[in-house]
Amino acid sequence: MADVTASPRSRAGQGLNLRLWLPLTWIVILICAAVFAPLVAPQDPLMQDLMMERLPPFFMDGSEPGFWLGTDSLGRDVLSRMIYGARIALFVSVIAATTTCLFGSALGLLAGYYGGWWDRVISRLVDIWMAFPPVLFAVLLVAVMGTGLTSVIAAIALIDWTRFARVIRAETMVQARMDYVDSARIGGARRLATLVTEILPNVLPTIIALLMLEMGIAIIVEAILSFVNLSISSDDPTWGSMIAEGRGAIHFAWWVLLFPLIALFFSVLSFSTLGEGLKKRFDPVLQ
Amino acid sequence: MSQQTQHRHALEIINLSIALPNGVRLLRDVSLKLEPGEVRALVGESGAGKSMIGKTVLGILPDTLKITQGEIILEGQHLNMMTPWTRRKTVAEITALIPQDPLTALNPLRKIGPQIVDPLIRIRGWEKDRARARALELLERVHIRAPERVMQSYPHELSGGMRQRILIAAAFAPSPRLIVADEPTTALDVTVQKEILKLIRELQKETGTAVLFVTHDMGVVAKISQQVTVLFAGKVMEDAPTREVFTNPAHPYTRALIAATPSSADLDRPFSPVPTELIAELHAQVARDDALWQGKKR
Repeated sequence: MADVTASPRSRAGQGLNLRLWLPLTWIVILICAAVFAPLVAPQDPLMQDLMMERLPPFFMDGSEPGFWLGTDSLGRDVLSRMIYGARIALFVSVIAATTTCLFGSALGLLAGYYGGWWDRVISRLVDIWMAFPPVLFAVLLVAVMGTGLTSVIAAIALIDWTRFARVIRAETMVQARMDYVDSARIGGARRLATLVTEILPNVLPTIIALLMLEMGIAIIVEAILSFVNLSISSDDPTWGSMIAEGRGAIHFAWWVLLFPLIALFFSVLSFSTLGEGLKKRFDPVLQ
Repeated sequence: MSQQTQHRHALEIINLSIALPNGVRLLRDVSLKLEPGEVRALVGESGAGKSMIGKTVLGILPDTLKITQGEIILEGQHLNMMTPWTRRKTVAEITALIPQDPLTALNPLRKIGPQIVDPLIRIRGWEKDRARARALELLERVHIRAPERVMQSYPHELSGGMRQRILIAAAFAPSPRLIVADEPTTALDVTVQKEILKLIRELQKETGTAVLFVTHDMGVVAKISQQVTVLFAGKVMEDAPTREVFTNPAHPYTRALIAATPSSADLDRPFSPVPTELIAELHAQVARDDALWQGKKR
């Protein structure tokens, strides 16, 4: 009897843990693959061999040992390219998302707490910014700044800061109305100190969730930009360029497209799930 | 001038008016005085502007509300004439707040300890150890068992009554000379209310702090205050010693308020709310005054 009543609770606890641990496992695998790429990759990702073009993955007839996930139209190993692609994907997602987060959250906090002119200027800027179609804007930016990873990162930060600014502004406004903020002010705390010690910790769980979500989005944007050949050179292995490359051969060499797509899918899903999980972890009230 | 320095009010509000951006007045020429060590109750129905007076004194009025006229004098210092930062420091030095809602008045993500200790370090410039000792002393004084453990807790781990006691401890800890108590018992259930009220009264007597006690409950007024200011629609209806207000209320609105307060002494008496005709008449009076005031402004 006791068992029956206890089981739903333990199952719920397990579910929460899985939502944290599954994405974390995938991300750790990704990080390891990125860091130790030269050691783990079975082949040189740039090595072409036209005699070995479009080899199928290991579980199909006609596969070659050592080319586990097959090869693309130039005979390059798909698995090795995916592993090296993880480097670029992670690098872009971490740097771009962090930049975006710092910039957008700072503006959101200022607009939400100081109000008045701060809020008016920042909110209008967000409105104007959001009127641009984001992908077109990114393409335009990269076209102007020239291709390359720096441009991709700059483009992501310049487009997506509005997401942080908007959400953090609203969240800050809610917190700023709380009595404990008034109490801190009556206790002689400076405005900036109140913002940092009282409001920021309460907004932090949301910032972390958004940051994780943004990492996923950054991976997608990078993939989109390399899909249209605006990221780094098409020789370099990125998931986006692999998908673009595999698109033409989807009917007879689906593996070239599918495997990087799956990696992309799981990475984005993991980041956003992890964000939600961490938000709960960081909030003692929700725990 | 010398007389004024000899006899300083803890708080003096002169002809205070507060208006919405569209010019509608929420407070109308409110004046009141609070002597050192005195408890003054500020009563009125909700929306009468009683909390607003407290908030104005403490400088936490929402940005949308504007002080259109009047002066606030804290221990002889004119708050209106100060720069925002000196004003902030003066208010922190002299006053403290016991807030209405113990659930939102403590930061949910910070431990109780620093929330009491930090202001002591900031306002009084005490060493951390001294501030901690003072916080523990006050927590014990408000009958918190295991104060060491409570200082390590987060607000959501404690009950509402406990949190309100902690807030009382935090308010009295820096030995302020004026405390604004903004309906400190409204959010609590009745048994806890009584205990909280008793605590505030005891601590007030021990420390001799002046208290501006905002409430809508005439029963509470009778228990705690020496002076009463009755507000209606942002206007002072009556200002008198508590005893006099209860034995011989001068204003019909005060009389109606007292009559509307249920008492356990005679439960058979039918409930008598403030008559609607009286409220209508008072509103009409306020509107006439406003029209007159508008005319004078032009």
